[in-house]
Amino acid sequence: MKPFAAAVFFASLAAASTALPPPDMPEGKWWKRPRVAAEINLSPEQVSRIEGIFSRARPVLIDRKAELEKRQGDLQDALENPNADRRAIASRVEAVEDARAELQKARVLMVLDIRQVLKREQWERLMRMQQEFRRQRRERFGRSLERRRPPADDRPR
Amino acid sequence: MRNENEISTDHLTDEELFALAVPPAGAPEPLPVHLSDCVQCSQALVDWKRALSEIGREDGEVIAGRSAEEWRAAEEATLAAIRQAGAPGRRRARTLRWALPAAAVLALFALLIAGRSTKTPAAFDDPSGLSAQDRADDALLRDVDRLASGEDAASGWSELVPDPAGTDATPPAERS
Repeated sequence: MKPFAAAVFFASLAAASTALPPPDMPEGKWWKRPRVAAEINLSPEQVSRIEGIFSRARPVLIDRKAELEKRQGDLQDALENPNADRRAIASRVEAVEDARAELQKARVLMVLDIRQVLKREQWERLMRMQQEFRRQRRERFGRSLERRRPPADDRPR
Repeated sequence: MRNENEISTDHLTDEELFALAVPPAGAPEPLPVHLSDCVQCSQALVDWKRALSEIGREDGEVIAGRSAEEWRAAEEATLAAIRQAGAPGRRRARTLRWALPAAAVLALFALLIAGRSTKTPAAFDDPSGLSAQDRADDALLRDVDRLASGEDAASGWSELVPDPAGTDATPPAERS
């Protein structure tokens, strides 16, 4: 059980370090969505510049994502090995979180470059749309959660 | 109950997506065949899982961030609302005379506002207008968001610790 306890400990630390809310950024390839582009008055020239930034960032994102997934696989293998020791698991947890930080850095820098292409009001409008989208998604989810929750009398005590 | 052919052609409903995002106690539900063919539904499932993660994170932050004054204010507001509702059986005919038209006007406004605000945000997960390459890029960016923000870790780590009461969708604050 020792490796398992160590894994839980380091995993808790790692999860705590990632529990901070991520920087608020629009989701997916929003600049190619006609309705989003129309809503923030994105010009064809802006779309082209943003696409260029993304095209340069794409190979880095792909590489770092693959690296993170590889590190996650290594950690998973260690966790499934009943003979793995604390140190081995600890170093793999660190490797996962290092890879995650590298991926996050590439992502944030790309978004920063994209933000430079937009006018201030375009960016603010985009962020408001994103927040409203997330709020509605949470509400939709919350309603389903409420519908599925068993009546008070049936809940396990 | 729908048969196999119907599942592979119809889009998944909110209820079905919810069941996949938050499986009931016990083993996760098997993935419908339709999910492997439909980019829209597989994206919707990712969105539902993301919403679950956001709800958990924000509820925790709000509750943990409340000061003693805010707790008292919330308690006062609740009690005031209860007092305002009145005791059972109290006569409220005079209030209702103006309250009903006011409620109707408010409901009309709410419908108008909802109609305006639901149109724009849905654009963020609308796959129409995207080429195959754009869809692949879109999936990459969403994967990167999820991985970089640690949402996968938040759900993965919890699986390491067995839940003696079994998995349920009840928020921690409401479990007894």
